[in-house]
Amino acid sequence: MENIPSLIYGFGVAVSGYHIGLMIIGVLLGILVGVLPGLGAPNGVSLLLPLTFSMDPVAAIILLTSMYWGALFGGSTTSILFNIPGEPSSVATTFDGYPLAHKGQPTQALSFAFLSAGFGALVGVIVITLLSGWVARFALKFSSPEFFAVYLLAFCSFVGLGGSSPFKSMVSIGFGFSFAAVGMDSVSGSLRLTYGFDELLGGISFLVAVIGLFGLGELIMTIEEGFELKGIRARISVRDVLKTVVAMPRYWVALLRSAAVGCWMGITPGGPTAASFMSYGLAKRFSKNRDKLGTGEPEGIISPETADHSAGTCAMLPMIALGVPGSATAAVMMGGLMIWGLNPGPMLFVERPDFVWGLIASMYLGNVVAVVLVLATVPLFASILRIPFAIIGPIIVVTCFIGAYTVGNKGFDLSLALAFGVIGYVFKKLDYPIAPLVLAMVIGDKAEDAFRQSMIMSGGNLSIFWSNGLVATLTGGALILAFWPLITAGISRVATVIRGASDREVA
Amino acid sequence: MISRFNAELATAAATAAVGAVTVFGALEYGIGWDMAGPEPGAFPFYIGIMVMLASGATAVKTVANRPVLASREFLDRHRLGRIGVFFGLMTGFVVLSMLIGLYVATVVYVTAAVWWQGGYKPWIGAACGVSAALFFYVVLEKGFQVPLLKGPLEAAFGIY
Repeated sequence: MENIPSLIYGFGVAVSGYHIGLMIIGVLLGILVGVLPGLGAPNGVSLLLPLTFSMDPVAAIILLTSMYWGALFGGSTTSILFNIPGEPSSVATTFDGYPLAHKGQPTQALSFAFLSAGFGALVGVIVITLLSGWVARFALKFSSPEFFAVYLLAFCSFVGLGGSSPFKSMVSIGFGFSFAAVGMDSVSGSLRLTYGFDELLGGISFLVAVIGLFGLGELIMTIEEGFELKGIRARISVRDVLKTVVAMPRYWVALLRSAAVGCWMGITPGGPTAASFMSYGLAKRFSKNRDKLGTGEPEGIISPETADHSAGTCAMLPMIALGVPGSATAAVMMGGLMIWGLNPGPMLFVERPDFVWGLIASMYLGNVVAVVLVLATVPLFASILRIPFAIIGPIIVVTCFIGAYTVGNKGFDLSLALAFGVIGYVFKKLDYPIAPLVLAMVIGDKAEDAFRQSMIMSGGNLSIFWSNGLVATLTGGALILAFWPLITAGISRVATVIRGASDREVA
Repeated sequence: MISRFNAELATAAATAAVGAVTVFGALEYGIGWDMAGPEPGAFPFYIGIMVMLASGATAVKTVANRPVLASREFLDRHRLGRIGVFFGLMTGFVVLSMLIGLYVATVVYVTAAVWWQGGYKPWIGAACGVSAALFFYVVLEKGFQVPLLKGPLEAAFGIY
């Protein structure tokens, strides 16, 4: 239990007027990007990141994580009031959130969402507090083959469990690695894949890619749909909020089940979106109110929201302890860590305990600040959505491009962002997953280094990934995850054959 | 107007082409083994091969599913027109930014987009554009001391 003193030390680092001020700014900016179409958590964080280059890492990560919490809350707000998910991870919240708000109970719908989200995040932070030190200590035993196997595991889980076509996930991952390889090769120092373009010598920044893929791509989608908002007016009454607080404990089964799903999906890189859908699906199968789901049932709000936020929070655990981010936003933040000169992974706990525990302590505080702020400001942010998209859209476009420029002060990045916007739009329309692309771009160099180091250690023999129990378990797990759809299909086929055979015997 | 079948196939061809370009680029740097271990091109080479194979598999799946996918619509003329205008304006913004700086391009772009695509009166567009540019100037240059790309107009006014 040496985690508790560490955590108290972390609170000592995190609690200061300056940091609380940053939390408030971060949460408010986060709600704003969560509410606005075309701006979500990953590219909101990408837009803000260049402005933190000169900040102290602890202050910078508090600002960025607070923005992340705010964005998650903002996304649920639009899901409930406008039936438009502000974030992909709040799609499942629309299923029951909008009907409940439509029935004339927007305050209850929002309070259920925010409170269960706060609960989910809290469970996530507790899991991080308890496990991170242990995971990091475990990971200190890792050398290059183990690290490569962990990266492999992360990508295989996208291929096998991602929900979209495994081949499309592979294309997406391959794109990420290819883009990451452009520019200086960190091992040999030679320049690669620049094809004679001087502008590519410095490589392709993942921030520019995220801004294009998530921001501009999403905007093109929005324009194509022809944007029209039919919102429900929300006035938050304190009495309704309190009534919801009293009603919450009744849903303890849903809360715990969803938090467990969220933590699992956040740590294994399934991400918040998959977690919220899975949790809603479980509620649909096991809840005793399952027949009412879809008509404005509180459990249908609680399940996805709790899972979404516990997954979002838990995604930070593998990022800081292993250097493998669990979601697109965590990937962007991990890129930020590397830009600030930190080295995400087990050594971070040894080198910068103030950063790690300050971050974890700030997660407790940041989520409390976020729940309070989001309840207080919902009417304000809902009114922002009443500004016509024809006006706000072009301003978001400009924001994205200016954000892309501030990454490296290069005009060329504007064209790159535009190109990534097209890729993002086409990928989204054809169900290519985008998160693995971002992940691969951020950890591309680290994964390649780990692979090359392993090859040097073994003299080019791939059997090094089976050379001891630990690495063999990781590699084996990765292969099982990659072929998971085939394995489950095989099992169910065998099961039907057996059942068919036994039926025949009975007949 | 464009069916899902055609869109899937075209995208698979495009992703395969990216894979091929990666493979081609990687070959230049050697994909074998030298004194220091695997040569710089080795990792991108296999990644490129993976992209090509996965694109091929997507194409095969698409062709196998042709009857279903051919009847599904990807984009109709109406939607294509909307995103065409939007994309054209964005491209214009990028080109203008490189020529005359981000601030002036912001004013021009927001004005044009709000006026043409939004259907508002031109002065409303101009008001949005000017206030957006001023907002970014104050926040970035004054607040965070992050300079943006500027052009001849700012120079004429002595703003750097």
